[in-house]
Amino acid sequence: MRTVYLDNAATTRPDPRVLDAVRAFADEGYGNPASTHAEGRATALALERARAVVAARLGAPADELVFTSGGTEANNLALFGVAWEHEARGRHLVTSVLEHASVLAPCAWLERHGWSVTRVPVDGEGFVDPDDVARSLRPDTVLVSIGHANAEIGTLQPVDDLAAACGARGVLFHSDACQSFTKAPLGGDRPLPDLVSLNAHKLHGPKGVGALRVRSGVRLQPLLHGGEQEGALRAGTPNTPGIVGFGKAVELADPIDNERVAALRDALLERILAGIPGALLNGPRQRRLCTNLNVSFPGCSGRALLAEMDRRGVRVSRGSACSSGSTRPSHVLTAIGRTPDQADGSLRLTLSRFTDAADLDAAFEALQQSVIAVRRAS
Amino acid sequence: MSNPIVADDRLDLRGVKCPANSARALVRLESLDAGAVLEILLDDGEPIESVPPALADEGHVQLDRRRDGAGWRLLVRAGG
Repeated sequence: MRTVYLDNAATTRPDPRVLDAVRAFADEGYGNPASTHAEGRATALALERARAVVAARLGAPADELVFTSGGTEANNLALFGVAWEHEARGRHLVTSVLEHASVLAPCAWLERHGWSVTRVPVDGEGFVDPDDVARSLRPDTVLVSIGHANAEIGTLQPVDDLAAACGARGVLFHSDACQSFTKAPLGGDRPLPDLVSLNAHKLHGPKGVGALRVRSGVRLQPLLHGGEQEGALRAGTPNTPGIVGFGKAVELADPIDNERVAALRDALLERILAGIPGALLNGPRQRRLCTNLNVSFPGCSGRALLAEMDRRGVRVSRGSACSSGSTRPSHVLTAIGRTPDQADGSLRLTLSRFTDAADLDAAFEALQQSVIAVRRAS
Repeated sequence: MSNPIVADDRLDLRGVKCPANSARALVRLESLDAGAVLEILLDDGEPIESVPPALADEGHVQLDRRRDGAGWRLLVRAGG
């Protein structure tokens, strides 16, 4: 049976060339990059080369990139780091109802400790209105955190406009770009958000490595103490093989693949909407992450659908990997107005550059059969 | 009197510890065309003692070195 992996928003298969680079470096580049002997210097050089590659793709100076253990740590560092550094100025944060758990949970923690948090709404396709964000800013607002691409429905937020709205009021702006990095441009010819979270494993890199872009001049408190690594913002010996793999993964990420993947995704969507009665797209058709498809199949249990798809060799998910075990309806689908039945019967199918047309033929056939089987059983 | 050397790029490594400072300087020099001049700001002490030899080992040429406040200002020509 053909196996089709369509859960690339949860994580991607590492590119073999990335694994080669990680293995080689883990074997030979074992020096601590803080050591001044030859092995240490060689590791420090590899670390800085990777930093330069990742930062250049983002469009930021290399010295503004802090390597972390992944996107979750980067989001935590952005939120807690700003909050703790700037609390004398104010204790108000703004985010959206749609954010990833690694943004919403730190916000909730801060709220329990005396901060006030405004969660702006989204429209039926998951877009935040920059005017809503501008209206929510207060004299005591220290940070706005709105992710670039939503992990569940792929909505690409107007980050440029959000950054401009915050910049005009002197409020720091953070964006979680873990889903979109190398797949959708961030900033373009306008300034990047002050803080940007990235990770490697969503782009065929290794797990356990990510980064936070911290614009020069922005002060943060570290989460981890005990060393001066990463500009004293992230104590601990860096995961240098992972960082080398991150750099390699970014080098290999070719924007041409994004157009091809988007075309495959669009073709699959059309087949689903035409071939499966009641199918309903979640999220927008335009300004959507090229790899993302999220569809509701009313009258189906999403859990049963996922199991049927898995039995047929097609790996999909019901939502963000960090909440996929939850029995509650997706907060994202609820926020865009889906009914409990529509939210429960949703599947997320996420492609990668390793996905081809034959994969999607098999996935569509499995999906048709699965929906029939689940509807018949219910 | 010779003309002052004009730097093509500038790298502020003040506050960056060894050997990360050497590594960042090498990565920046690698990104420049051969012959381009990089201005580097460095701290006194271990950085000024260890960075210039690390750059020379990789074929980059120090053109000038002078005091700049509490630190140092280097001009380095990128090697081929």
